[in-house]
Amino acid sequence: MNNSITSDANAPVPHHESEFRQKCRAAWMKTKAFFHGNPPAIIGGFLMTVILLGALFAPVLSTHNPDKRVARPHEAPSADHILGSTRNGRDVFSQVLQGARKTLSVALFAGIIATVIAVSVGVTSGYFGGKIDEWMNFATNVFLVFPQLPLLIVLAAFLGQVSSIVIAVLLGVTSWPWGARVIRSQTLAIRSKEFIISAEVMGESKVRIILVEILPNLISIVFGGFLGTVIYAMGAEAALGFLGLGDATEVSWGSMLYWAQVSSSLYTGAWWEMLVPAIALALTGGALALINMSIDQVSNPKLKTGPHLKLWKKLNKEANKRRGLV
Amino acid sequence: MSFLLRRLSFYFTAFLIAISFNFLLPRMMPGDPVEAMFAAAQGKMDPAQMDAVREMYGFMDGSLFEQYISYIQSVFTLDLGPSVLMFPIDVTTVVGMSLPWTMFLALGSLIVALIIGVSIGTYASYRREGFFGQFVPPFLAFLSNFPYIVTALLLFYFFGLQLELLPLAYTYDPAIDPGFTLEFIGSVLKHAILPMGSMILVGIATWVFNMRNAMINVLGEDYVTMAEAKGLSSYRVMYRYAGRNAILPVATAIAMAIGFSFAGSIMTEVVFNYQGLGNILLKGIMARDYPLIQAILLILVSAVLTANFIADLLYVWLDPRISK
Repeated sequence: MNNSITSDANAPVPHHESEFRQKCRAAWMKTKAFFHGNPPAIIGGFLMTVILLGALFAPVLSTHNPDKRVARPHEAPSADHILGSTRNGRDVFSQVLQGARKTLSVALFAGIIATVIAVSVGVTSGYFGGKIDEWMNFATNVFLVFPQLPLLIVLAAFLGQVSSIVIAVLLGVTSWPWGARVIRSQTLAIRSKEFIISAEVMGESKVRIILVEILPNLISIVFGGFLGTVIYAMGAEAALGFLGLGDATEVSWGSMLYWAQVSSSLYTGAWWEMLVPAIALALTGGALALINMSIDQVSNPKLKTGPHLKLWKKLNKEANKRRGLV
Repeated sequence: MSFLLRRLSFYFTAFLIAISFNFLLPRMMPGDPVEAMFAAAQGKMDPAQMDAVREMYGFMDGSLFEQYISYIQSVFTLDLGPSVLMFPIDVTTVVGMSLPWTMFLALGSLIVALIIGVSIGTYASYRREGFFGQFVPPFLAFLSNFPYIVTALLLFYFFGLQLELLPLAYTYDPAIDPGFTLEFIGSVLKHAILPMGSMILVGIATWVFNMRNAMINVLGEDYVTMAEAKGLSSYRVMYRYAGRNAILPVATAIAMAIGFSFAGSIMTEVVFNYQGLGNILLKGIMARDYPLIQAILLILVSAVLTANFIADLLYVWLDPRISK
């Protein structure tokens, strides 16, 4: 047994490689179809790529050490300091790159936590129904009805200045209900479909039904919810940072806003200290929203507009002709 | 009516959970909760007053359960003691003064965003192959997903500081006496344009997309085709036939938006120095005025729950089937 596995790995069969290539090509075609004739997806994807590359290569792209005093206070943008300097003489360009790492990782981490909880609660509640559903639905609705951000602000105020990891966890465990609600209703809709019933009749285990039969049908909704949570978490992190409730010694877009506010940079004419992190946040939020919208169109073809819609109508007409409906 | 009763009992339970959260908060802080909560009050209150306030918050001898009951009693009698920051004034008075402004911002912007968003969404679904349907929804999705704080800061900078078009602080001109005069109302509206405008910008896309998606589902129905075949004007088909039915699923989203709107108001008030709860919340946080912070959270939760109940009433009115 052991032998056959090693021999298999040592001598890859060409047939496998071509299968892998086929998969790659299929994935590539899907990606191309997603962006083709879809300007929002192209713009959003392009912006997000630039932002992610900037965050990834922050140490290489930074012109100065973001944590050190490298200029005079509030120097205007120049060749040496592309986006000017802060009140404390930090280089804004290097800070915004460094801040992207912190802000995006907090938002992604919170998004992952929230999505995991949302999927577990939503699918369990939707699939099992009964008492479990009643209780989980109640918890979801209670969380939904509370004003989340004020709750977080108060919590952070009582805990004192909290580190970004704590903020990410707090955001993650409070922002799952939106996703859970959508996933639950979609699970309810799928549960009564024939393929689930036939799987049940065949005696498949409940775990297998959830993981293999239900989850793959929820992917676009789950991913859409994930992106929505990331947008929300980024805004909330910026808000907490701006209010001075985050750790102001860490460089993030939120803490940059805080220091810009403390030094009243807008009033003294040093707009770059405030507007650079603000615009970075705005572009990231907007780009993610465009991607999210395009995913919506893929999962629900009815929502398509423009060239996408025309293409869909053409394909639909051809299909109808094949079926002999027209 | 059983629907409304069910909703009422749900909101009551939710409120009890919020109270319990408030009760537990100071007990989760490191060190002695009483010391921490009233640290900033040292020297302001005399010992007798301190003891009275402690009792209100349930910090007394006895089991946790007895403390909890005592705290609930203080909450329901609106007896929350003096604010540490603005000493002899009661917390409830401070909160009561600023709550109307926050309600004005949060609910006002929600209603305006709802009306504009639903109209745009209806039109975008109807013209979705044209320029309007292709360009406007993605554009709004992009704009609306700027974080609250960022939209507020950008409007603050460009319209307030650079163009000097609109006022940048206060809820109305302090030189004018409050009252039912045109001058006062004008001043209030003028001071509300920027904060409300930023909240409307953030809120609008939700409604555009909810309405557009609901409309697209309805537009495929036979009675819409029938109405078009009868030769009714597109305005009539759009708003009287399709729109009226598409609005139902949109109305369910209002409940969720209320909480968001209040949260947005808190952030926007800080940027525009608007004299609502958010502004006081920030001052309370900076002065470590924990009793005030707790009172603000309680009043916010109850405002949101009440607004939700009103939304439920509205929903029953829109769709009478639900109350059965």
